[in-house]
Amino acid sequence: MTAAVGLPSTFDGSRHRFRVTLEQGFALAKRSVLSTWRSPAAWVPGLVLPLMIAAVYSAQFAMATQLPQFPPVDSFLQYMLPASVLQSIAFGAGNAGTDLATDIENGFFDRLMASPVARQSVLVGRIMGAAVFSGFESLVLVLVFLAFGAPVKGGVGGVIAIIFIAGLLAIAVGGFGVAVALRTGSPEATQSMFPLTFVFLFMSSAFFPTELMNGWYQQVAQSNFIIDPTRRLVIYGWSWTDLLQAVAVTLAVAAVSLSWSYRMYLRRLEVK
Amino acid sequence: MTTHPISAHGLERSFGTLVAVDGIDLEVEEGEIFGFLGPNGAGKSTTVRMLVTLLKPTGGTASVAGYDVVEQPNMVRRSIGVALQDAAIDPLMTGNELLKLQAILHGLGSREATRRSGELLERVGLTKAGNRRVGTYSGGMRRRLDLALALIHNPSVLFLDEPTTGLDPTSRLSMWEEVRALNKEGTTVFLTTQYLEEADQLAGRIAIIDGGRIVRQGDPAVLKDEVGDPTLRIEIGDSIMLDTAKAVLTTFGEWRPARDGRLAIGLEGGAKRMADVVRSLDAQGVPVAHIELDTPSLDDVFSDATGRRLEGAMVDDEES
Ligand SMILES: Nc1ncnc2c1ncn2[C@@H]1O[C@H](COP(=O)(O)OP(=O)(O)OP(=O)(O)O)[C@@H](O)[C@H]1O
Ligand SMILES: [Mg+2]
Repeated sequence: MTAAVGLPSTFDGSRHRFRVTLEQGFALAKRSVLSTWRSPAAWVPGLVLPLMIAAVYSAQFAMATQLPQFPPVDSFLQYMLPASVLQSIAFGAGNAGTDLATDIENGFFDRLMASPVARQSVLVGRIMGAAVFSGFESLVLVLVFLAFGAPVKGGVGGVIAIIFIAGLLAIAVGGFGVAVALRTGSPEATQSMFPLTFVFLFMSSAFFPTELMNGWYQQVAQSNFIIDPTRRLVIYGWSWTDLLQAVAVTLAVAAVSLSWSYRMYLRRLEVK
Repeated sequence: MTTHPISAHGLERSFGTLVAVDGIDLEVEEGEIFGFLGPNGAGKSTTVRMLVTLLKPTGGTASVAGYDVVEQPNMVRRSIGVALQDAAIDPLMTGNELLKLQAILHGLGSREATRRSGELLERVGLTKAGNRRVGTYSGGMRRRLDLALALIHNPSVLFLDEPTTGLDPTSRLSMWEEVRALNKEGTTVFLTTQYLEEADQLAGRIAIIDGGRIVRQGDPAVLKDEVGDPTLRIEIGDSIMLDTAKAVLTTFGEWRPARDGRLAIGLEGGAKRMADVVRSLDAQGVPVAHIELDTPSLDDVFSDATGRRLEGAMVDDEES
């Protein structure tokens, strides 16, 4: 069956294989966006909680911005913006995996596999759907922050960059969930993985500058390569270097998680 | 090339030490409804899943629509329609959306997808519900949508795994009608069921599977005949005549066990001897209070092959 995996399989002669594969991936991505949109419990918390945390923190730590080592920001809210976006991704990143695991558990996945759909469209559709949805959530978050007076110094380009990084990060993190889903076929097992992302998030400069930390905790938090460059786009302004650093790191993570997913996918198709 | 739409040779699948399907042979003819009958856990779904390329056989070979299920799975998938047992339909999507998605998965363009979806919704009587989420559908409606999904690309071979299990009698009848109609249009149907009546009513030929092995295969009428003579049961009106009645009946066939106060024989020559029996009893002055002829059912065929009853097994299952 391995040979079948690499091949777009629907091909009636008149229509180009590549085009059919694209249409299938698009249709599946659309389905995954629609299903997520129609189960608000899966995404509303990902929007509301980061906003609540941002509101509470920026009230609590309003004066912290005046500490000598704090980066030059307009407000703590501005400092929080990238963290809130990433936090929202952390909330939503599990969805791609749990939705896929649910499909496997209840048989919808079999329905797909019994059709001649190009095998890779199923994986790509699911992951792209998650990325698009996360991009949309990030856009909403950024707009809310802008409305509350936290400017993005990087301008429109900076906003687009943040949304792009968010979408990419959703793929990178979501890829782990997808891999676990393919491996276990269990939504519960997939779900249980995701609290981990919060540990990473809190052990970072997401909510407080590393300059103001100390000891081993500072060491760990400083090794964060995504939040800091993204934040510099918000508080300092546009920079290709920052964008490239964030994108490159995210891509590296995505490469790991996606190749793991792909291995698990082949394995599922093989063993079955 | 003349090939069977479905054929299997020594097809086998085990899960660890459990042999779910234990080397079965099948030849399904073009244009027939083939019934695959068996109790819970017999291996029906496992067989279907191998035939529709969802599960790899651990032994033997099978081909569907002329293509090997292991070597040419994509060709198989393009030729078949599949309605699996317990394959959920995404409850958050509407019937129409799912049909269009299915059409695109089968490589239809979006205009064609829209046209086919409308056509099939109409066919299965879901036009009005087409834009409602599947979550709001009844069990019968879901089953009909499932059938429509399986038909999106006009498959030549249709697999239905227990299409009426859990349906009320009316929905079951309308599903039967639909399956017959499809078959008339030339679709070969492979249908699994636990219901004797369903196999009897729908299928031209059946295979009975039990414990992963096919224990009987053929035309239901022939299989029933093979079980033996129909059972004739008689209750006589006057117990004084019992010995006379016995003397008459013993000339028509072998004794079979019967309830107290009744006599039962396997009627040699079947239903056409009934009149002779009645005439002979009458000639001897034996008053008949009750008479019935029990022709063998598929349950008798099953019991003859396995020593167990299928109907009983089903009742047990419903209680558990
Ligand atoms: N993936 C699997 N892993 C392990 N055992 C399995 C698996 N699938 C099926 N089995 C076992 O194989 C046997 C046959 O199962 P199968 O589902 O084919 O039966 P069935 O005839 O379809 O029954 P039902 O009428 O209940 O649907 C059962 O004992 C079942 O437990
Ligand atoms: Mg079954």
